Amino acid sequence: MKQEEINFAKHEQFTLTMIPGAFAKKMRTCLIFQAFRFAVINIKMLVVVSKSH
Amino acid sequence: MARLIVMGGGVSGHTAATFAKKWLGNDHEVVVVTPNSQWNWIPSNIWVGVGQMTKEDVVFPLAPVYKKAGIDYRQAKAVSIHPEGDKESEKAYITIEYTSKEKAGQTETLSYDYLINATGPKLNFDATPGLGDGKGQMGEHTVSVCTADHAVHANLELAQVFERAKKGERQKILVGTGHGMCTCQGAAFEYIFNIEHEAKKAGVRDMLDIKWISNESFLGDFGMGGLHMKVGGYAVSSKIFAESLFAERDVPWLIGAHVNKVEEGKAHYELLDGTTGVEEFDFAMLIPPFAGVGLTAYDKEGADITAKLFAPNGFMKVDAKYDAGAYENWKASDWPRTYQNPDYNNIFAAGIAFAPPHLISKPATSVNGTPINPTPPRTGMPAGIIGKAVAHSVCDMIQNGAENTHLHEASMAEMGAACVASAGKGVFDGTAAAMTVYPVVPDYEKYPGTGRDTDYTFGEIGLAGHWIKHILHHMFIYKAKLKPGWTLIPE
Repeated sequence: MKQEEINFAKHEQFTLTMIPGAFAKKMRTCLIFQAFRFAVINIKMLVVVSKSH
Repeated sequence: MARLIVMGGGVSGHTAATFAKKWLGNDHEVVVVTPNSQWNWIPSNIWVGVGQMTKEDVVFPLAPVYKKAGIDYRQAKAVSIHPEGDKESEKAYITIEYTSKEKAGQTETLSYDYLINATGPKLNFDATPGLGDGKGQMGEHTVSVCTADHAVHANLELAQVFERAKKGERQKILVGTGHGMCTCQGAAFEYIFNIEHEAKKAGVRDMLDIKWISNESFLGDFGMGGLHMKVGGYAVSSKIFAESLFAERDVPWLIGAHVNKVEEGKAHYELLDGTTGVEEFDFAMLIPPFAGVGLTAYDKEGADITAKLFAPNGFMKVDAKYDAGAYENWKASDWPRTYQNPDYNNIFAAGIAFAPPHLISKPATSVNGTPINPTPPRTGMPAGIIGKAVAHSVCDMIQNGAENTHLHEASMAEMGAACVASAGKGVFDGTAAAMTVYPVVPDYEKYPGTGRDTDYTFGEIGLAGHWIKHILHHMFIYKAKLKPGWTLIPE
């Protein structure tokens, strides 16, 4: 059973959306990966902030 | 010596006042008039609302900070503006009414050379019968996270819901917007997913039915008409990702809804297709619509000129195109650049206090003629940038003369915003959607198709976003307290 796919059946609205799989969900709280994303997101935000000032 | 009065001590007003004082030094006066004794980092109120922060974590007293900065602080609400003076004097002034304990109810007039209206929103709970108490305050049927005190109360109510759930009583939670013309869908989005996150931690998630209700025509609108971001090589609408998160977290949604009445345990609504319905709840957080705080204005003879300075919604008119007409005619250039009032060049409005020219989202009305569409958000970053630009303009006018000053510009159609929407707090298990949107107000002439530059518009959800939100909490409170290096932290 793929736990992450159960919700598709819970509500008619959910059937036509996308739901992250187990690996994608795990990566959201994977410390090493998120540390890398922290750096990338901060750089992207700083670029937008600098364009806005 | 010139006097600048800043009405309002929130993100925009506090930014304007503190930068103005820094630039003007002791040569000129800066006065802040705000009814609040404390500054509130509003983005963290949602965490107070789920018990993950205390009120003391999100507020600090203003008086010591303004004293350190040399700013004249009056804990009072501004009542009226007299831009032409009166029969006795041509000096412009405002009238204020003190809200501090020592001087509660006392009124005073304060003359000014320059005035910045940064009064923010009136939380217009009474716009929806039952959402307010009929006297301008929040009613007793729902909770709010708009202020720190509201959020404290919301958490207490939520704790009782969790207790009942633990005892085996199924509970219905409803979160969203409490009127067809609300903004701040983002705050409601954060709150609903933080509740869901805390419910899972508390082991009661399976006893809760959590539902979203809002005035958006599609999930992910957020008052900005949504956004398109590049993900995996595709340009993707925020609708796709918003719906994905709702489905993933088992939160069904009801959108295109105007909540028109709230009773104990019931929210009545009308949809765009004209149908009506009732959502029952055990706990509801419904954002109220915003209006201006209710300032009035009078000319030299004492005639009421409120409609000259303010739009019908109570927000102050600035250099925006208010006659843009139908949605098809809207342009990025409709949006203000200098935030200067067109009739009085020494008056500016910053942050939420300025009157937008029109919506950002596509307008929608129900078949019964009821407007059901998000109104434009002015989040922290644009509010701070606008406050700083306006302060800069005023300082230049004071120091160089108004006729010699080229005003500083900060159009929301030419600036971006970085937003972080929490989906649950936790150093190791929290997540947040970190987003940038550039520009805030879409420019379809410059960026056909999406209205945004997709090279600078992005979003992703994860623990990194949560770390960023928590760091921003500390960083902006540090900045607002004017601690060493505070000017180095961008708005």
